[in-house]
Amino acid sequence: MRRAKVLVLPAVVVLLAVACTKSNNNSSGGNNGGQSGNIGRVSVLNAMEPSEAQALQAVVDADINKNANYVATLEANADFETQVKIRVEGGNPPDVAFYPQPGSVIEQAKAGNAVALEDMGFTASELEKTYGSYLMGLVEYNGKHYGIPTNVNLKSMIWYPKDDFDKAGYKIPQTWDQLLALSAQIQKDGGTPWCVGFESGGATGWPATDWMEDIMLDTAGTSTYDKWVSHQIPFNDPSVVHAGQLMGQIMFHAGWVLGGAAQTPAIAFGDAPLPMFKEPPGCWLHRQANFINAFFPSDAVAGKDYDFFPFPKIDQQNTLIGGEYGVVFRNAPEVADFVRKFAGAKVQCDQGSNVASSRISPNADVQPSCYANKILGEASTVTTKALQAGTARFDASDAMPSAVGSGTFWSGMVKYMQDGPSSLNSVLSDIENSWPAS
Amino acid sequence: MTPPNGKPGASVDIAERAPAAVALWVSILRIIGAVAIPIVAFFALWATFDFLRNANANRAVIVLVAVVVGVGGIFFLFWAMNAAVNALPARFREGVRPYVFVGPCLVILAVFLIYPVINTIIISFKDATSSKVVGLDNFKFVFTDGEMLTAIRNTAAWIVLVPLVATSIGLVFATLADRLRRGEAVAKSLIFLPMAISFAGAAVVWNFIYSYRPAGFGSNIGLLNGIMIGLGQNPVPWLDQQPWNNLLLMVIMVWMQTGFAMVVLSAAIKAVPVELIEAARIDGASEFQVFRRIVVPVILPTIVVVATYMVINAMKVFDIVFVMGNAEGRGTEVIAERMISWFFVRGDNGKGAAIAVVLFLAIIPVMIWNIRRFREQETIR
Repeated sequence: MRRAKVLVLPAVVVLLAVACTKSNNNSSGGNNGGQSGNIGRVSVLNAMEPSEAQALQAVVDADINKNANYVATLEANADFETQVKIRVEGGNPPDVAFYPQPGSVIEQAKAGNAVALEDMGFTASELEKTYGSYLMGLVEYNGKHYGIPTNVNLKSMIWYPKDDFDKAGYKIPQTWDQLLALSAQIQKDGGTPWCVGFESGGATGWPATDWMEDIMLDTAGTSTYDKWVSHQIPFNDPSVVHAGQLMGQIMFHAGWVLGGAAQTPAIAFGDAPLPMFKEPPGCWLHRQANFINAFFPSDAVAGKDYDFFPFPKIDQQNTLIGGEYGVVFRNAPEVADFVRKFAGAKVQCDQGSNVASSRISPNADVQPSCYANKILGEASTVTTKALQAGTARFDASDAMPSAVGSGTFWSGMVKYMQDGPSSLNSVLSDIENSWPAS
Repeated sequence: MTPPNGKPGASVDIAERAPAAVALWVSILRIIGAVAIPIVAFFALWATFDFLRNANANRAVIVLVAVVVGVGGIFFLFWAMNAAVNALPARFREGVRPYVFVGPCLVILAVFLIYPVINTIIISFKDATSSKVVGLDNFKFVFTDGEMLTAIRNTAAWIVLVPLVATSIGLVFATLADRLRRGEAVAKSLIFLPMAISFAGAAVVWNFIYSYRPAGFGSNIGLLNGIMIGLGQNPVPWLDQQPWNNLLLMVIMVWMQTGFAMVVLSAAIKAVPVELIEAARIDGASEFQVFRRIVVPVILPTIVVVATYMVINAMKVFDIVFVMGNAEGRGTEVIAERMISWFFVRGDNGKGAAIAVVLFLAIIPVMIWNIRRFREQETIR
């Protein structure tokens, strides 16, 4: 008994001391407190499809990891939005996260979690020269930039079955009226013009918001579009109502949408284009961003079985894009080095050599010839041109507050599809009412 | 209160008899005893965690450390504290010892349960980023927003229908299985099997059962629509049939929980005294009368416990609805699902927390009632 007494107190004290010193050693991993040392690894959380992340990891291994004193790992998470929030707010952020929403980038900058690119050795002029002032302006907060563009999607695209389309003698429409006329012609010839699917699990409705945004951008123009995004005009403004009505012209037209508008929220967006590849085509037109080609049948040949034309001019022709920003949460030399190389021309060009890749580089130094997939090369040309001309605009729902952009805008569009044309006004005013105050 | 000479009152006994200085020392030592283990454990675990995150270390060493610290660490701490108490002067010992063992639980409970509850309540009065107080706005939202009202209506349906149906079916199965000459174990295992699946997993399985594809989008792979087509009917988008789709989601939970009800009730039925049943039979009671007037009243407390457990489960249901997706479009929202959706997907801390608080308040009466019943039973025994 006596021996136990002697042993115990020192044991507790030693344990406490060991515990304290250990924890002190490692408490220097702060976010903005200057650069810390190289720990040999860079974790990159992203929202890619697992197959896409795998293909890209191979590029990263070859172009970056092989000649570096650190290992960068892409961690794809299907539940990215929730996971990144949990990890950042829980104090265990990834080193880099690829955010699909510039709105979230600004939120992280405001919260003081993200590291400014300027604090890691980038200069604003260099960034704007490489990625364009529009893309960089979206992630600017208090004069500093908090996200580096790593990927863009072209969203103003309409896909069609090229060989059948040509055989039937259809012409690519240049205007909205021609698009409607083409739809009517296809219906007259016994076909169904459109394939539309808005189902996407917890994010059901987002492809419908893209439709709205595309039409809004081409009717109201870029400046009104910007006001809409930043809520300088209400969500039920006449210009938005007009865009919704034009969308309804196609969606609610009897026999124009395969399965009918009310079914569209039940059709997975990835399955939606599949009828286009039947013989004869189950549908002839499909509006979706460039990444949809990852969902096409594996034996479909670009330029023969399918091709795309830009979303036609309505009152004007602008270009809707989406994208992805790399946001840094740990200011360290290896993280800065990774970000610089990943967004740089070599990696961005090499990722295009993979035919299965659907990523378009926002880097102006990346040439269309980098893309093994011919269609992606064309899409990159359209995107780069629009970015340079200032007619490109980022997906509105990704730039609006998430209560609207990831919430009521999605569910509102689903309601519009289910309840029909008469519900448009009430749907839009419901979304307007849900806009967070302040 | 003057306790008898038994063990329970020993600590009070000493504290009361001791002079003021000793009483003070005992109190101080009690607090130290209660707080010391959590603090030491916290730092030890933190140090271990840091070590485990260190990718440069040897894998085998990491595993060894995780096992040793995880399994042996807390055991060692309690042993050490107990030994430390033994080292105290005799008059302090028994006054301090219980606090060394119960105290850490209370402290950990406070840190991981009470603090979050209080913080959630505070956040629920603030705006989306928890930076500004907005008063009762978030609660006004909970009871006026259209989606929230649907969620409240649906949750009400869940907490009535799921326990009712699952317990009833479980009771019927338990009664009938009890009469099987052979194969009782097999029959019960089959019904109990879904319990082994997670809610999210079950939702994925049933997503395939309800799956629907409109004409032109490929053949229907769903079980239910396979049957419909086999019968020469048109396939049906099951999960879009409002408001019946709510019932279809409840079926999943019933499917999972019936086995639990059956096993518990079956045990209760087997515990019904045989003399009671035989006496009833001799008096000429029919089988149904025996069941209705003897078996059910005797096992009623168990039925109530099973049903309350399911009420609480149904109140918290989230996974099934969330995995099925598009709750807003389908009108299948439930309260817990709204909470996650607002907090994480839509990024509004205030509204998410307000929904959590309302859910918390709604569960409290059920808990109190459950505890009361439990106490009543304890006194009967």
